Formats: sequence, C-alpha cells, structure tokens
Amino acid sequence: MMVVAAGSNRIDPYLIPALDGIAYGLLVFVAASGLVFCFGVANILNLAHGMLYAIGGYTAAALFDGGWASLALALTVGVLAAAAAGVLLAGLLAPVAAGNHLSQALLTFGVALAGGSLLVAGFGPDDPQVLVPAALEGSVVVAGHRYAAYRLVFIVVAAVIAAALYLVMRRTRAGMLVRAAVDDPEMVACLGVSPARIRAGVLAAAGALAGAAGVLGAPIIGPGTDTADTVLLLSLVVVVLGGLGSMGGTLLAALAIGEIQTLGVALLPSAAPFLLFAAMAAVLAVRARGLASRWRAA
Amino acid sequence: MPLTTPRRSRALTATLLAVVLTTSAACGNDAPGTSASGSIKIGLLASLSGTYQAVGTEIRDGFQLYLDTHDGKLGGRQVDLVIADEGNGAQTAVPAATKLLKQDRVSALTGIVGGGSVAGVTPLLDEMKVPLVGSNGRPELKDVSRVWHTSYLSDEPGAAIAQHVHDNVKGSVYAIGPDYQGGWDELRGFTDAFGKIGGKLANSDGKTTFTPFPATTNFTPYFARIKASGAAAVYTFYAGSAAVDFVKQYAQSEIKDVPLYAAGFLTEGGVLNAQGEAARDIFSVLNYSPDLDNAENRAFVAAWKAKHDGSPTTYALASYDAASVLDRAIGAAGSDPTPEAINTAIGQLGQIASPRGTWQFSTTTHSPVQKWYLRQVRQDGRALSNTVVGDLATVGR
Repeated sequence: MMVVAAGSNRIDPYLIPALDGIAYGLLVFVAASGLVFCFGVANILNLAHGMLYAIGGYTAAALFDGGWASLALALTVGVLAAAAAGVLLAGLLAPVAAGNHLSQALLTFGVALAGGSLLVAGFGPDDPQVLVPAALEGSVVVAGHRYAAYRLVFIVVAAVIAAALYLVMRRTRAGMLVRAAVDDPEMVACLGVSPARIRAGVLAAAGALAGAAGVLGAPIIGPGTDTADTVLLLSLVVVVLGGLGSMGGTLLAALAIGEIQTLGVALLPSAAPFLLFAAMAAVLAVRARGLASRWRAA
Repeated sequence: MPLTTPRRSRALTATLLAVVLTTSAACGNDAPGTSASGSIKIGLLASLSGTYQAVGTEIRDGFQLYLDTHDGKLGGRQVDLVIADEGNGAQTAVPAATKLLKQDRVSALTGIVGGGSVAGVTPLLDEMKVPLVGSNGRPELKDVSRVWHTSYLSDEPGAAIAQHVHDNVKGSVYAIGPDYQGGWDELRGFTDAFGKIGGKLANSDGKTTFTPFPATTNFTPYFARIKASGAAAVYTFYAGSAAVDFVKQYAQSEIKDVPLYAAGFLTEGGVLNAQGEAARDIFSVLNYSPDLDNAENRAFVAAWKAKHDGSPTTYALASYDAASVLDRAIGAAGSDPTPEAINTAIGQLGQIASPRGTWQFSTTTHSPVQKWYLRQVRQDGRALSNTVVGDLATVGR
C-alpha cells in the first residue's frame, strides 16, 4: 500500500498533506471548541452548532469581494450574527432543565433544521463561491512544495485564536465565572450572578467562535447545504476523541482529525471513506473516555 | 446532588449523535407540473429543484428555446409542453413521470437529468408505450426500444480524448475521479481506450484513484500523491461543486503546472464562473462548444443569448436537439402521431443537423454517434470560456 517516491526520500511527498492537516485540524478546533465549551463547561448540548458555523460561512460568501476590508466586515458581521443566534438559542433553552440532554438535543436539532432551511432559502441551494483576498489567492513555496497562501495564513490566525481562548478561560474573570458555574452553580448564584446570564454568555461565546470559524474557514470548509451537518459531525468526533476535560485534549483531537483527513488519505487513499470513524472506534475501544483523560493531569 | 451529568455519559451521547448523523441521508422535494389542452402533449421532466437545479433549468430552457424559435410547434402541431420537477433522483422523478404519463397522457417524454431517474422511469415507458427522448443522464439499460438520448454515454468523453492525450503527453498520466457510477464510467472510458493504445497510467497500482463522493472537499492529499507519482499529465472527471473545489485547489497546489485534461463537465456552465482564473488552460473533451463555427450553432447561440446571460451549455444543446428530434419524428409520424408512431419515426431519422455538427442515433444504443471536440479554457472578451482547439474522435456504437 505504501508508495515510495522514485528518487526522493520517503517523507517528502507527505510534507504538504501533513501541513494541510494542521490547517484543517486548527479549523476543526476553532469550530469544535464552541461545542466543547458549551457541552463540557456549561453542560448544554447544542446540536445547532453546525448551523452557527454555516451562518459564518454564508456571511463570508456573501460579503467577501477579494479585498481586506470585506474580510474584516464579514468577520465582524459573521461573529455578531452567530453570537446573536447563540443568545437566541439560550433564550429558547431557558425552560429546559440544565443537564436534560434529550430535551436540549431535540430543541437544538429542531432549530438547526429550521435554521438550515432558512439559510438555504436565503442563499439558494447551490454552494456559493467564496472570494478570498487577492493577496492570498495564490500559492507560496514551502520547503520546495507549493501550498495555498490562504491556508498558510489561516494556520497562524487559528493558532492565535486558540491561544487567546486559552488565556480568556484561564486568566479572566469571565472565564473563572464560567468554570465556577460548573463546579458549584448554587454558590455562583449566591454571589449574585444569574445562571441564565451565564448560559446566554456561554452560547454567545460559542456562537462567536463558530461564526469566526465559519467566516475564516469558508475557503476550506465552504458554506453549502450539508456544511452544518459536516461541522457538527466533526465537532462531535472531537468530543469523542478529545473528551470534555481540557482544551489540550480538544486541540489534540482536532489536529488528529485534520491529519487523518489529509495525511491519512495521502498514505491510505483506499481507506479514505472510513479512516476517521475507524480512528474514532479505535479510541472508543481502547479508552471509553477519550484521549483527554490522559492529558487532563498535565 | 450534582447538576452536571458525568463526562462519560456525555461522551457516549456525542458518540451516538455522531453515528446517527453519519447514517442520515439527504432527501428532496418535488412539485407537480401544470396542465393545459393542445394538439400534442409533450412531457418535460427535469431537476428544477435540488442539487441538479442548474442542469435541469438549462434543459428546460433549451427545449423552450426550440419551441420559441419554431412558432411553438413540433412536426407542424401546436405543442402543449407539460413540465414536471425531477428533484434529486428516482425517488421524486418516478411519481412526477407517472403523473405526466398516466394523468396528462403525454405523447412523448423528454429531459431527465439523472441516470438513476431514467432507470426508474424506463419501466413506465414500456407500460404506457411512450418514447423518451432523454437529453442528459443515460444509465446502462437492457432494453432501449423506447429510450433515445441526444446526449452521450458516460464512457464516451474519455474514449474520445484518449488518443490525443497519448499523442501529446510525454510520460504517464494520472487518472482520478469521484467514487460513484458516473465517475467509474467516465474514468473507465478513458483508461480502457488509453490502455489499448499503449498509454501508461501513473497511478501506483495502475488503476484509477477514486475519491469518496460527495465527502471529498479537500484534494490536497491526492495532489501530493500525483506529485510523488511523477505524472506528466492528469485526466479527471468531476462535476458541480466538486469540480469547483478540484480546480481551485489544483491551481494552488504543487502540481499546478502539470497539464490537466478532463471530461468537459469539469469546466462546463456555471462551475466555470465559480472557478474563475483557476480554470485557465484546462483541456477538456465535450460534444459541444458555443464557439463551433456552423450555421445551426450561430443561430442557436444568438437565440440563446437574446434570452439568457452567458453562452448555452451542452445540457441546453442536448435538450434543444431533443426538441429537434421530436419535431422531425412527429412530422414523419403521419396524420395520427401516436406515441408508437413517433417512436418508430425516431428510429428512421438518419442524419440530424445540429449546432454540435451532424449526428445520428446509434441503432444499438439509441444514443448519438457524434464528433467530440478538444476545448481549452481561454480568455474570451471579458470572461473565460471553453474554446474549441481541435476535433477529436467520432464516437458511438
């Protein structure tokens, strides 16, 4: 099955897929972190998460015109729109008891179906075209290989978002409140912070993350009728692989998915259709709690 | 009492959801056509919603254009065109065809985008003894006594271009395509013909690489393999959004300078606009190009451009020709053009003048014996377009 490139060394042909796996993995990380954040920290199962990403994607397709200003505008609009949708979801979820995953799943899945239909009605059934800024349209040479400039820049931007997310959770009062609300909701309520406001805040933040991923990731996982399902599926696989305990686990799981989808496909193209789920099954078989338990201590 | 559920059960929930989402499939809707009275009823079935809406719309407009330029008549009779929505496939196409055939009692059926829809509708044609002059999808069929196609068989584009690729590429060729029936047929057409004349594939196992469809949106890992294979050229077939992804990513990849040959659908119609600059210089093989230099084509393109933005596609052309076939057959079917008489007349048409050049129905497959053209994406005024750069083989059997 292994192919050895004639003349050159064995690793060289796989450099670009490996690099692309990082770009794809970081996109999955930013997209999935909102879901993991909601589910792991606030204990809200949000199946409309993929739709929040799609909102960002369609915003990008509608506003990108090849200039930098349009990218900034699309990012602002996409993040705000997806965050607003998150707040709306929080409002709808208010009557549902915390931790009642079945009701949450039914409600948010219904919202996802309705929202998805609205997006298709608004933007049409065809996959819209996404115009990246002209400066990033081309390709650059990395270690003797050509690679899409946009994806290279995306790796840097997504890494910055991941670092910022980590700092917000660890170092800010908002992050501490959210973490406190998980450990002891009654005590946080006694401190005068409404759990409803925390729920709205968490869903807004998750929406903003998904919206940002949708806008910036539109040239990689573009908006279309099945985008919401794809992103939700990948996010849930991240939860399975990475667990809910730590950002480190989430990041590792997302990068693993990225590499499986690119490097894995380059190495074993005939297994491409089921590599991801084979990996998921393997992780479940070995460790029912996902990769995270191993890294949580770290 | 804890307000949170254990992490283990949440992970389990996520797993279950992932599995459920993986197994869930797409579904589509349809809407019935309209009905009125006239001297001959023709049913047109095409995807006016769903994934293939763009192709379905071209097919409807191509047929309508023929009617509009011929006083609304076929074979001297005023046409009552009943249009129905095929949707995404046989599931919606069969009920729509049933309505056209049993309720509207059409004398002939035309259109149909999907090969699966054609396969689903065929038993109805035999039951009602009505001919189909299809203008796009054409599956493997055992009995074609009432089935005619103005389009092509899926393995013909590849067979038509194989000799040209063999003569012009110094080295091996990498074959890659989508993993479904249409992709298998298109690629088999090329690899069979290419192998017969001594062409060598660059694929590591000597077989075409098939990418999961429609799941593949990132072609970078495949491009890395093509690069590693040392291929001198690539032959492919993709259509729709996969064609846009493939072409855009190809232009940014490390094999961007490797010549790309394709079945014409890779750069046909709306996808070419979405691909933009990335599609420049791609070679493709198709049975039609809007810049073909003949009187029929000049009239066809002018009439099309008067009503629509942009140039007509092979889809619109095939439907225009389906109307032309019905026009002659109804005219030749005598004073009482029953569906049976029309079917018999279609079989005796002989050479048909068309914007694509003259063609005729094969007596065995009931699909065209026609010339194929080599096209290249080049600048045409302000837009990029498929420009004919040469004639390829005449294919049909």
